[in-house]
Amino acid sequence: MTHGPGEVVITGVGLAVPGASTPDALLRRTACPVTGPDPEPFDTAARIGRRGHRYKDRATRLALCAALEALRDADLLPSDRESDSPAGGPSDSPSDRETVTVPGDTIGVVASSNLGNLDTACLTTTAIAERSAVDLSPMSLPNASSNVIASWVAIRHGLRGPNLMLCNGPTSGLDAVHWGAALVAAGRVRRVVVVGAETHNAVVEDLLGRSAGELLDGAAALVVEGARWAEARGARGVAALGQYERRAGLTGCVEALLPDAAAPGVWFTPERYTEGPAGGVPVPRAVPRYDVTGAVGRASGALGVLQCVAAVGWLARAAATSGAEPVEPVEPVEPDAGAGNGTAFGAGPGGARDPVPVSRQALITSGDDTADAVAGLLLRPTPDRSHPHPARAPLISMECSR
Amino acid sequence: MSQLVTGAGAVASVGEGVDEVFRALCAGISGLGELRGFDQERYRTRHAYEIDDRPAPGADLPGRATDWLLRAVGEAAAQAGLGEDLSEVPVLVGTGLRELRSAELAWRDGAPFDIGRLHFGTALRERFGAVRTHTFSGACSASLYALALAADLLTTGAEDTVVVAGVDTVTESMYGLLDRVNSEPPDRVRPFDRDRRGVLMGDGAAAVVLRREEPGAGTGALGRVRAVSMNCDARHVTAPDPQGIARAVHEAQWRAGVKPGDIDLVLLHGTGTQLNDAAEAAAIAEVFGTEVSGPLMTAIKCMTGHTSGGSGLLSLIVALESLASGRVPPTLGLAEPLPEAEAFRFVREEAREGGDLRVAQIDAFGFGGVNAVAIVERADR
Repeated sequence: MTHGPGEVVITGVGLAVPGASTPDALLRRTACPVTGPDPEPFDTAARIGRRGHRYKDRATRLALCAALEALRDADLLPSDRESDSPAGGPSDSPSDRETVTVPGDTIGVVASSNLGNLDTACLTTTAIAERSAVDLSPMSLPNASSNVIASWVAIRHGLRGPNLMLCNGPTSGLDAVHWGAALVAAGRVRRVVVVGAETHNAVVEDLLGRSAGELLDGAAALVVEGARWAEARGARGVAALGQYERRAGLTGCVEALLPDAAAPGVWFTPERYTEGPAGGVPVPRAVPRYDVTGAVGRASGALGVLQCVAAVGWLARAAATSGAEPVEPVEPVEPDAGAGNGTAFGAGPGGARDPVPVSRQALITSGDDTADAVAGLLLRPTPDRSHPHPARAPLISMECSR
Repeated sequence: MSQLVTGAGAVASVGEGVDEVFRALCAGISGLGELRGFDQERYRTRHAYEIDDRPAPGADLPGRATDWLLRAVGEAAAQAGLGEDLSEVPVLVGTGLRELRSAELAWRDGAPFDIGRLHFGTALRERFGAVRTHTFSGACSASLYALALAADLLTTGAEDTVVVAGVDTVTESMYGLLDRVNSEPPDRVRPFDRDRRGVLMGDGAAAVVLRREEPGAGTGALGRVRAVSMNCDARHVTAPDPQGIARAVHEAQWRAGVKPGDIDLVLLHGTGTQLNDAAEAAAIAEVFGTEVSGPLMTAIKCMTGHTSGGSGLLSLIVALESLASGRVPPTLGLAEPLPEAEAFRFVREEAREGGDLRVAQIDAFGFGGVNAVAIVERADR
């Protein structure tokens, strides 16, 4: 039950996506994509109300929803919350913000979005060309700055720590998780809200050349926290952050994270990953693969955060399953897995004292060989969820036959 | 723990390259000009501090910010002896507006632009082979925020060398919205003047190479970064908060182990807006207390315009040049300081020989209340 010095854990998760409200639901939907009519768009007013949000762009409102849920999940908000009743939702005035229960300067924000404020920039330009700058709404000014999402999350909850906005392409969400952990590891703050948000609209669809149905309209959030700070306030970590890499190409990134072709318990693949020819596969074929974008659409800057939420769902299932069946036999190593029994000593921030077998860890990658780089991250169970038996076998029952 | 700045690069409306930019600023040469990139008839504001590299007046093209960034990084890397290979070096880029100007052109005019180049990683990979690249969109303090993150990477031992850069070009959306909210359009940036009318945007890029300091490695370095603070007001989405700024200034000095009386020079954020200059002056006055008339103070946006995400790092490079040379560029257009800044020892009208300058403070604040403050020190070459 001990954490390594400087270990960073996830103590809260939040989702604002259509059709999945929990990590488990997201994992399930990813494993078995639902056919039939698309779920309704996520209703931000149901979670954060309408008052005070009129001039915020859609990506910001989605991010606020996910961040609120993650802070609640991490027990960082007071229990009697005004916004439980949407009608009386909070406004922008300081008096009814949902301020956190710890000092605001102990919490930072790292947001990620590539497309969030494209519409403001482009539609403003059109309006100027059609009329003039005099006719613009001054209320659009904040949205012209690309960090508007990170700003509003901080303002709403009084988070006075470092406030970063990553706009780093396909890897941006996973990079954001990394920088959140880096802020904690460097001692800048004790905990960070990491939120990824994207939406679709006429501008995004035009510039991407994709239809709305292909694209995410949603957000995901995590609270990443120094393990000792989480313990100090009695909060439970649901996953521990392992090593992070940003490398050229998928194979290079996976090799840097998992030397000797070690097989992780699960692989959250890049967006729309398709299996290459034999020999060109970076992760042994027997490892279950999940592409969350199959469930929620192409997710751009939100992808890495969504993947982490789904991975938290996977780790919870693994723990529950192995806990319920303590005599479950050890899964044999797959024929093509090479050395599948590597262990991670936690090369991430701080590292862990007790090695967790790679087979119990989740591998997450964002970006593919067409991107400027591929980011990868390992998530492992926290000490109180570690279990000596690998969890892969029971989870295979969740796989769709496809 | 300090870090060494071993290379620097700059591109701005006043010149190309650190030497040319610093010489121009010390000579009081401003990059102010009539608005060239956009249709003047559509704005009340008619001026900006642009880099005039478009093919023809009114004809804009995508990718200009990326070009300046690559030039600034190239200059810094060459000076630091890294050459053109940054495959093993993290590159952290702070920007307010990314390549949003290119997106505007693609959307409105159908200009050719790959949306995958809104961030700068692809171009940095092509030119320098860099893969550990991160584009931070942190409004007008973005490049000092990136510097803080780089300093942390060196302090924790994760890296030996990091490239930090900042870049921005004027977007039509931001220019237009600022035009809309200014009560009277400014014709120049007049930091801390009672009659200041607001901010004008500027084009520019800046870059430094930051290295962990090893014993004896200081030879030839441009200077030392002692500490960088970063925080967030968490109060208002555009207006600055003097308390948040004061906390950032205090924290930077505390992290650097210096007191207000140790600071010889302050490069103020000084945007020439009513709100920023009043808030910044109040915060500086509060933190410096009785020492507020000690350091020389200046604000270069009077000559570069507000170069947004790149502005903090550009000020930092100017500060290092000032510490090394003893020369401090003037704050042009400052006739009568606002009341909160009456006791400040501004450098006005022309550059000043500052004498023995050792320690400088650089301020950068942005929309969303994001504040970053750096403390740098002269390296004895």
